[in-house]
Amino acid sequence: MAGHTQAGNPPLIYLNNAATSWPKPPEVLEEVRRCLETPFFEHGRSTAGGATDYPPATRDALAGLLHAEEPYHFIFTGSATDSLNLLIHGFTKKEKNPFHAITTELEYNSVLRPLHTLAGEGHLSLSIVPFHDGYVTLQEIKKAIRPETRLVVMTQGSNVLGSLQNIRPVAEYCRANDIFLIVDGAQTAGQIPINLSELPAGAFVFTGHKALFGLPGIGGFYLNDPDEVMPVRQGGTGTDSHTLTHPQDMPQKFEAGTPNYPGMASLLAGIRHIERQGQDAITNKCRGLASLFIKEITRNPAITIYTPAPDLPVVSFDIRDLDNDEAGYILAKAYNIVTRTGLHCAPLVHDRIDAGKGCVRVSFSHLTTPEECRSAADAVREVAEGACR
Amino acid sequence: MRCGRWPRVRVVKSVQTKVCVDGSLMKEYVLDEPLTPSFLAFLKAFGTVKEYPHMKRPYFSFEQEHFISVKGFAGDSSVEVRYRKEYFDLTADYFHLLLFYFREGEQGIMKMHGIEESIRERMKIRLPGGSGTE
Repeated sequence: MAGHTQAGNPPLIYLNNAATSWPKPPEVLEEVRRCLETPFFEHGRSTAGGATDYPPATRDALAGLLHAEEPYHFIFTGSATDSLNLLIHGFTKKEKNPFHAITTELEYNSVLRPLHTLAGEGHLSLSIVPFHDGYVTLQEIKKAIRPETRLVVMTQGSNVLGSLQNIRPVAEYCRANDIFLIVDGAQTAGQIPINLSELPAGAFVFTGHKALFGLPGIGGFYLNDPDEVMPVRQGGTGTDSHTLTHPQDMPQKFEAGTPNYPGMASLLAGIRHIERQGQDAITNKCRGLASLFIKEITRNPAITIYTPAPDLPVVSFDIRDLDNDEAGYILAKAYNIVTRTGLHCAPLVHDRIDAGKGCVRVSFSHLTTPEECRSAADAVREVAEGACR
Repeated sequence: MRCGRWPRVRVVKSVQTKVCVDGSLMKEYVLDEPLTPSFLAFLKAFGTVKEYPHMKRPYFSFEQEHFISVKGFAGDSSVEVRYRKEYFDLTADYFHLLLFYFREGEQGIMKMHGIEESIRERMKIRLPGGSGTE
């Protein structure tokens, strides 16, 4: 993707796809435009002919991409953060009595903060298991298990280390021991092949605005057994409107209020884009870009790489004699390269890898070009050389 | 530092965003004049200035503990200034004052040291064991 050139600036190179993917595929922009050009198709109401009924169409598309058996077990929310809050608080509400929960050092604050909040309120006790070389093992999780353990929440892919966790054995263990497992797939949905029909997790969380190429503001989760979680919000569903009791059918049980139609339109088009490109092809291309970038910067002793062989297209590094914040500033202002610096809202990872100081992260999408990758690596090397002279 | 008057540099635009890592407040200022080596020399009277002249653009940073930190490029007319959240009410004008008193040379340094001392006294009041609360 050739970046936009402002007067006097080098072309924009966007390497913050682990936060929000950019650019969006043209068909995503077109579908959002189409969605907004006609009145929304609202279920159970009169509507303009020909408009797409986005909620079921997008659920079907998600079920196809992620190989899920029940499209109506996909619940739409505003984001992965929204989903994790809904699931963690909803599961806790169902449990009634205090219980033990397990999470990992790899997690994002949208996992850590809800759990920490509930622990502070006395609803649960929390164990945080460590990672080794970027990975959390089933053995580490087993060490933390107690008789009262009822919940495990863990990421499938680290947003800092790019490490892909071996979730399936954890899911099988949790299923066998009546423990509810929430998998945070914010970094993996759309990035790698996922087969939910073969993953016995309680819930799988996704967001639309990263590798699924949708707009910010659309996310969701897949819930295997709707009885495992209680809804934490109620409202208008367009169904059973005569009763003040919120419907318990899926997906209305967890969805209330006007859907985010443009967000769903973008997600639907993003999924179609991935299917056209091929999930495997996207996965492989992105891994290739990360490898290329690492290869280009790896021999510079002033650059510390925290992700020497990431599974996901995420490369985290530091430059000697520069704060990560300064490195990001220079890359942005002098080279027009967008990175993400700091703690990436994953403070426990940084406690382990850089004493909590934070680092620079670049992250690629399959729309990033190898030329952009090389230019960015050249820039990082140049900054490192300038910092050390 | 050379004595004498320098042209006054003014802020013509500021944009505030909040920083994720520590909650400090960041403002990007656009100035009506590019920052000169003499301004960086002036800053050295108040904190640590790091200069990287061999970068693609000559980068500098300024750190005055508890007060502000500044990032920018020498010869550029925009800078990023960060303020510690807990002292922001005391230091919100500090960068503007630096720009203002820069034109007064040595006199300006003395005046800024007086302002700095006054702010430090008010910071101390807030520290545990300080002599009061605000």
